[in-house]
Amino acid sequence: MRAATSNAGDGVIGAKDRPGNLTGASDPEVVQWAQHGHEPAFRELVRRYERPVFSLLYRMVRDRALAEDLAQETFIKVLNGIKSYNPQFKFSSWIFKIANNAAIDHLRRRDLDTLSLDGSPHATTPEEMSATALQLGDRGESPLQEVEARELGSAIERAIAKLRPEYRACILLRHVEGHSYEEIARILDLPLGTVKTYIHRGRNELRVHLVDRKE
Amino acid sequence: MTEPLLQHLTPDELELWAQGLLPAARDIHLAQCGECRVLGDRERKLFRDLARLPRLAPEFGFVERVMAKVKVPAPADEFEGR
Repeated sequence: MRAATSNAGDGVIGAKDRPGNLTGASDPEVVQWAQHGHEPAFRELVRRYERPVFSLLYRMVRDRALAEDLAQETFIKVLNGIKSYNPQFKFSSWIFKIANNAAIDHLRRRDLDTLSLDGSPHATTPEEMSATALQLGDRGESPLQEVEARELGSAIERAIAKLRPEYRACILLRHVEGHSYEEIARILDLPLGTVKTYIHRGRNELRVHLVDRKE
Repeated sequence: MTEPLLQHLTPDELELWAQGLLPAARDIHLAQCGECRVLGDRERKLFRDLARLPRLAPEFGFVERVMAKVKVPAPADEFEGR
């Protein structure tokens, strides 16, 4: 395929550079095509990132419909602002930054960080935990809740749900999306040392939650 | 100062080991230290569990729903209208 390369290094895409097969193009190439108003390039960016972005958001908010709304919000913001994208940073870092901000804003607004299958992490008694727990699997569960229980019901998913949102985001970006510590620091606007601390603490908490479940 | 061979692996080194990236010099310590091996195995198992988490998909038609709300700029003259 023809890459979205610049002509003589002037940064301008020419007619002869029209992309043939976007699927094989790199992110910077597809972004450059999108910036020049090439509609299939917009679709290609959504196609590439719909699963990673949706997965992150779904695991952050643990609500399928809400995660889809936040994912849509993320892509609309990214694509409508594609001309302001700074190519010094990886496109994936930019889109995850916007997605994570959407999730964190929502969790702060709705205080959903207390929501988990096993009840609020702030609950101090079994009664409080029970009162704040999601009752997936009960009679009357909607088809959507059944899907959510199936998708996020494994031990590791439930352990992730118990983490503080900041730890959860770091763990997902590191271990599911494979970002480096430096990239995560940029995505989350956190000092590198804080990211390392969050990841180490997050992993320790995951191990504790997983051991608890076995016992 | 502690001899490097005797020093336990740091959390960063345990992560490197779990990824198969620990320098050989520190590998020697791991071969001799049961405590670090237990921690390393635990780390590696967690990494494996996390890496196996599936990518979840939004409902069918997501791309179309997004595109319906995106303003695609007019194509640049450089490759349109030729």
